[in-house]
Amino acid sequence: MQDQLNALRLEVETAIGAAKTSADLDAAETKFLGRKGALTDLLKQLSTLSAEERPKMGALANDVKRQLEMMIASRRKQLGEEQYSQLSLTERVDVTEPGARPPQGHLHPMTKAINEITEIFERIGFVRTRYPEVDWDFYAFESLNMPKDHPARDEWETFFMDAPVSKKGKMVLTPHTSNSQVRELERKEFPVRMINIAKCYRRQSDATHVPMFHQFEGLYVDKGVSISHLRGVLDYFAGEFFGPDRKTRLRPFHFRFTEPSFEIDITCGVCGGTGISAEKQKCKMCKRGWLELGGAGMVHPNVLKAGGVDPKKYSGFAFGWGVERTYSMKGGLNLDDIRILYKNDLRFLKQF
Amino acid sequence: MNTLVSYDWLKEYVKLKETPEEFARRISLSGPAVEKILPLYPELGDKIVLGQIAELKQHPNADKLKIVKVDVGADGGALLHIVCGGSNLELGQYVAVALLGAKVRWHGQGEPVVLEPAEIRGEKSEGMICASSEIGLGEAFPNSDRMILDVGHELGWDKQTKKSIPKTGTPLNDVLGGSDDVAMDIEVTSNRVDCMGMVGMAREAAAILNRPFNWKEPKFPKLQASSSKPQVKISAKKECPRYMAAKISGVKVGPSPWWLKRRLMSAGLRPINNIVDISNFVMLELAQPTHIFDSATVKGGIDVRLSRFGEKIQALDGKTYELDETILLIADDEKPIAVAGVMGGEQTGVTLNTTDVIIESAAFDPVCIRRGARKINLQSDAQLRFEKGLSTASPPVAMARTIQLVLELAGGKLEGGITDVGQTKYKPQSFSTTVDEVDSLIGIKVPKTEMVDRLRRLGFKVGVTGKTIKAEVPWWRDHDIELGRDLVEEIARIEGYANIPGVIPFGLRPRPMSPELVWERNAREILKGAGLSEIYSYSFVSKDLLAKADYDASVLLRVQNPLTADFEYMRTTLLPSALQVAAENAERFSEQRLFEIANVYYPQSGNLPDEQLELSMLFLGMPEPWRAAKGCVEHLLDEMGITDVEWKRLDNDAFWHPGHTVQAFAKGNLVATVGELSPKFAKNFKFDSPVGLVDIPFEAMVPLASGSRTYIPLPAFPEAKRDLAVVVDFRVEFDDIAREIVRANGHSPIRFGVEWFDTYRGDKLPLDKKSVAMHLTFSAPDRTLESSEVDGLMENIVLGLKEKFKAEVRA
Repeated sequence: MQDQLNALRLEVETAIGAAKTSADLDAAETKFLGRKGALTDLLKQLSTLSAEERPKMGALANDVKRQLEMMIASRRKQLGEEQYSQLSLTERVDVTEPGARPPQGHLHPMTKAINEITEIFERIGFVRTRYPEVDWDFYAFESLNMPKDHPARDEWETFFMDAPVSKKGKMVLTPHTSNSQVRELERKEFPVRMINIAKCYRRQSDATHVPMFHQFEGLYVDKGVSISHLRGVLDYFAGEFFGPDRKTRLRPFHFRFTEPSFEIDITCGVCGGTGISAEKQKCKMCKRGWLELGGAGMVHPNVLKAGGVDPKKYSGFAFGWGVERTYSMKGGLNLDDIRILYKNDLRFLKQF
Repeated sequence: MNTLVSYDWLKEYVKLKETPEEFARRISLSGPAVEKILPLYPELGDKIVLGQIAELKQHPNADKLKIVKVDVGADGGALLHIVCGGSNLELGQYVAVALLGAKVRWHGQGEPVVLEPAEIRGEKSEGMICASSEIGLGEAFPNSDRMILDVGHELGWDKQTKKSIPKTGTPLNDVLGGSDDVAMDIEVTSNRVDCMGMVGMAREAAAILNRPFNWKEPKFPKLQASSSKPQVKISAKKECPRYMAAKISGVKVGPSPWWLKRRLMSAGLRPINNIVDISNFVMLELAQPTHIFDSATVKGGIDVRLSRFGEKIQALDGKTYELDETILLIADDEKPIAVAGVMGGEQTGVTLNTTDVIIESAAFDPVCIRRGARKINLQSDAQLRFEKGLSTASPPVAMARTIQLVLELAGGKLEGGITDVGQTKYKPQSFSTTVDEVDSLIGIKVPKTEMVDRLRRLGFKVGVTGKTIKAEVPWWRDHDIELGRDLVEEIARIEGYANIPGVIPFGLRPRPMSPELVWERNAREILKGAGLSEIYSYSFVSKDLLAKADYDASVLLRVQNPLTADFEYMRTTLLPSALQVAAENAERFSEQRLFEIANVYYPQSGNLPDEQLELSMLFLGMPEPWRAAKGCVEHLLDEMGITDVEWKRLDNDAFWHPGHTVQAFAKGNLVATVGELSPKFAKNFKFDSPVGLVDIPFEAMVPLASGSRTYIPLPAFPEAKRDLAVVVDFRVEFDDIAREIVRANGHSPIRFGVEWFDTYRGDKLPLDKKSVAMHLTFSAPDRTLESSEVDGLMENIVLGLKEKFKAEVRA
């Protein structure tokens, strides 16, 4: 019996060594160690042995079985690893081929800009609102301290609607979002902290102007609002939108609906605010290192009055900037003709 | 409005010690913004120098050339040997010499080129004696052909002592004052016309930098009353509140002295003759335009009146303008002699033969000037200033200055007195503010004395009572300062806005954003995620485009003054624009998925249009685009939490394909129209495959939307699954089949699910039949269903379908 066991062990060891695949190994395992395998057959003979021999042989047989199982397991592991190591050949595909993408959609750059602007102002408590894009002269001009004959009104290059004149004047396509100022004040909910983003319309079309564009209008009216607040809010916006490297400055300017009025400049993203380009030439983008971001100012007392607000009790600031212009001043966009935004050429839109 | 300001000129009126760069930086923070700093004579480098002709002889080989030896101040007195063809060369003459390496513009033409040593007809030439046009000074010193620039003559050295003449070899740029000066390009806001004059700019600089302001108001010469002063009548009193005129006889018209030419050139104006130059100079200095007529050509008295319809005038630009009743004129007894405030007439202009002149200095209504100039399309430096609004107190200052300069530079005699018509006594305006108002609006504390001082530096007459500051507005700020708040601005800007710290206001609870704006933002993200590209198209569309899509333009709101016919009608639908965009992209993109969310404008009688936010989608280039469209809408509805949607076929709207269009209703509201564009209109856009479209009244959808979800417990027992295919008439709708299947359940608690997976029509079925294949699921809340139980349910279902639709089970 001992000889038989040793012979079997040898046979099995050979078979394990010869197994090339895990399937070979499985077959060998079944053949020798399985329920109907050779070792089982041998073990059945144990009962024929003497009571003295039986435990000895039994222990030996178990020993052999354990050893063989260990050998199989180790061979199996070895074979398994060999099999995985071959995968780079057996299952090779060209992984430089493109992946199967989900359908890819695109948001228009204006949507991205509007979302970003909305979110920045939301963080400091300005809530987005919506007011008419076709409005009465009263809201677009008259209530903004622009009397009928004022030259400022010529400058807007306004579109008029072919519609009857009402008590609030002619019907116009809003040339700016500032029509929202008096409309917002009329709600009589203080403090006013509004950001109104809407379409605006002016009679102009060239590389830097489109007849339809977007503005975002900020209005903050409360007791004790000062130029300091205006600076704080606009600096915060500029820092968030353009990044901390760009600096801003406030310059005096003139608008009818604010007093004092300012122009906000930001350092040029192309020349880094030096006014000198990389080629040591005068920077073509900016004026002596500065770009005009837009206008702002302290709400004119006459505008507050037009909205039914007492300028002795309340003060505020307002600004209305072009979304397209502001967005195009972000570093790296390189829009050379703003009209492309509204051509809807998919080759353009799919870049965003 | 931009103006060019010579830094050197500015320094005549205000003591400045900063460099132009420093000045520009500081002034921009408190006053007008300096946008550019430019050299005065950009073509003069340091290699064009003053020379004096030391020897002059004929060129041996050329009749028209001379050999000139020029003293250019070289060490040891060496002379330059130059061949020159100038016709006005003289011994001892001061000339502009371009040394080798200098850049010159040959004969005043083309780009500047570098001068190199040359040999001309056998004679060496080591430089060039330049004509004014060859070194960028053609406008200052007009020269005829072959004449070189006679520097001494042009700068008036003939009359000067030798001592004051610069040394030979001095760069011409230094001689002309260009090295110590720059032209600053400054933006002046429309309310500050006073800063369109050098004196106003200097006053501004003096106030900002707190420096002495040196300008003295010019005085009229001693006047004797006389009957010979110009006769003036103002017929248009509203348009012309004040008109002053003075006559000077016996003037000598000629070129201006260099100092005057230089000032004009620094501001970008071309010198013409002393009289015209004086008028321009005074405008540049004081911002008040004047006009000077040749007295001999003015017949009778001056009348300031509105034009008569059809009247014409030939202006100084040589063009003839046809006028109407809105144009303000200066006329004599016979004819218009000037378009008031805009431009004088050619016929009455000053020429070299003029001996007597009439000087006009007046105030005109800014609106009238602006509208008139726009109407006849004639702009001028004078008009740009008048239309911003000049004070009625301004004309005498300019008149006094003009008279002073004419007498000084052109001689002559002031005839009698000065005519001054229309002016009633000038009353300056006064406004008040308080220390508290100033402080609270600026956000920092400014000492009261400082507030008062700033206003005084700007020319206000200030009185203080307690905390109240009362300021009388100086006349040059007449159309600008309108209320007490303006005083705050003056104080704040002189502070310099850079010195005001930024503070973010806090402590407020903002009201929530409207659901419409929230869902608009979400919808854009959802559709982008679903693979659609967003477009932004114009709100106004053309009649043509509307017609192509079968929309009637006549009922839409129309723009009265459209830019072009492409932008004429305010749209009530986004679909035609989407079709246009898709058509324009079709050549490059056979497959397209587009969307847009934008306002449309429904006209309302007697009111503003009803602005509604709408959503459109377009699908092109896939099989069954209506199905892609519907799937996308289902997805959107799902994402917006709009369940219980009922779909109803739409087959009676000409725009939509009657076989491929369906409408979605939720809680009885139309939430979407989904389908394909009728082939009848698709061909107008030259589409060669069907176009799927979606039209969503977004605002109607928002109230139904919900971000919250209700959890339905998961089935505790496994579902039974069966497939079923039935053959029915092709007009039977799947929705009805599904409803019938669910109905077969009766009131049992067993849950049925129906999921469509295929519809077949074709050879294997009769023409009017289709086969609809579905996955069915069954589940009970309390047990696993037995197979036999499910068989029974299937039998019921088939029976019900047979009865209702004559359906047959497809093997």
